[in-house]
Amino acid sequence: MAISSDVIRGYNDTMILYLLLDQPSYGYEISRQIKTLSHEKYIIKETTLYSAFTRMEKNGYITSFQDQNTATGKRRTYYQITGKGRAYYQEKCEEWLLTQEVVEQFIRKGETENGSY
Amino acid sequence: MEAIRNYLETMFLNLPNTPEVYKAKNELWQMMEDKYTELKNEGKSENEAVGTVIAEFGNLDELAEDLGIKQFVHQPRQEQTPNAVSLSMEDVRQFLREHSRHSYFVALSVFLFILSACCPIFFGAAADTSLRSSDVLDASGIILMFVFIAIGVGMLVYSNVCMGHWKHLEEGNFVTDFATTDYIHHEMEHYKSTHALLLTIGIMLCILSVVPPILLDAASSFAADTLEDCSAGFVLIFVAIGVFLIVISSMRMGGYRTLLHLNNQNTIGGNYVPEQQDRQQYHNSTLAAIMSVYWPTITCLYLIWSFLSFDWWITWIVWPIAAIVESLIKNISKN
Repeated sequence: MAISSDVIRGYNDTMILYLLLDQPSYGYEISRQIKTLSHEKYIIKETTLYSAFTRMEKNGYITSFQDQNTATGKRRTYYQITGKGRAYYQEKCEEWLLTQEVVEQFIRKGETENGSY
Repeated sequence: MEAIRNYLETMFLNLPNTPEVYKAKNELWQMMEDKYTELKNEGKSENEAVGTVIAEFGNLDELAEDLGIKQFVHQPRQEQTPNAVSLSMEDVRQFLREHSRHSYFVALSVFLFILSACCPIFFGAAADTSLRSSDVLDASGIILMFVFIAIGVGMLVYSNVCMGHWKHLEEGNFVTDFATTDYIHHEMEHYKSTHALLLTIGIMLCILSVVPPILLDAASSFAADTLEDCSAGFVLIFVAIGVFLIVISSMRMGGYRTLLHLNNQNTIGGNYVPEQQDRQQYHNSTLAAIMSVYWPTITCLYLIWSFLSFDWWITWIVWPIAAIVESLIKNISKN
């Protein structure tokens, strides 16, 4: 069962901001972590990721800077979360909890596994 | 790796050449490169790694709004560059092959044109020494000159007809894909050093053309007059070889430029053009008409003055003056 991109789209920002909470990171690293944390159930497309970066940078949730990777010496664009970004992340978390709570009411547990409705 | 690069470049080929688009391309490339490297480190095969990276790339539609390129992404390709025909690598190779042959023909015919003027000079000098058959020698000099000119014109016509089927390159709307553009660019870079060398030798030969008359003049005190009569001929031989080298190397560079100019310069694909030459130099149509015959007229003036006066030592002054006048006219007409 593949994940519906329509539903998850609204939470790409949440995932990216979550990964930036502790330290700045760069494009591929974020995409790799999303893949690992979701147990390979969600793989974010490069264009989706870049689109999220530019949008959030425009909104002031993240800032970007150039830095050299200490291990490989490769120059990359790193992204860093801002105060505004943290507030937005908090907001999105609350929104999700609410959404989950509402949708949860309409999910009948154990039904789908039996294949009968 | 090359396949990924090609894929990305092709996706961006027709997008406008703006900083945002350029940045997006670089960022996406960074991510793809990282992913590819990691997949390879995990022990995936080349094909698998490339396949995964391309499959997980996504769609440029998502970037359209952020980059302000909505109208480009949603338009079908043909509309951005109407009736654009893509030139294949094979077409490009064939063009370069034929164009280089064309350059040889043109350069050789110019060489013959200049050399043709030598015939009357040498035969005339020979005629002066041998009194018996002087008329015959004079006549054969003239005849040989026309034979040279005829061969030259024949070669020009033949070569132009052969190149005729490439005429549409200048008129039609053509694009080349990234791999092909890259190939042309590479070939051009490769030819650059040869071009510089040939050009330098050519120009040096033109300058050194004054050496034979000076030497012959100095030698004339103890040598026959015949040699001195020939001095103009030696000048022409030097100039002919010099011009041959200049024409051939410039034309070959021109061939590469023609191909690189095909892609629309406002798109990423047109990024390769080394320098933008403003082709429309004269806005006034009368002036444009006059200037189109400027250099041929100067050439005629130079040759007429030189041959009438035989003052080869000073007639070259026509060229620098003509060049200064041309840039003056260009600048005045711009304002």
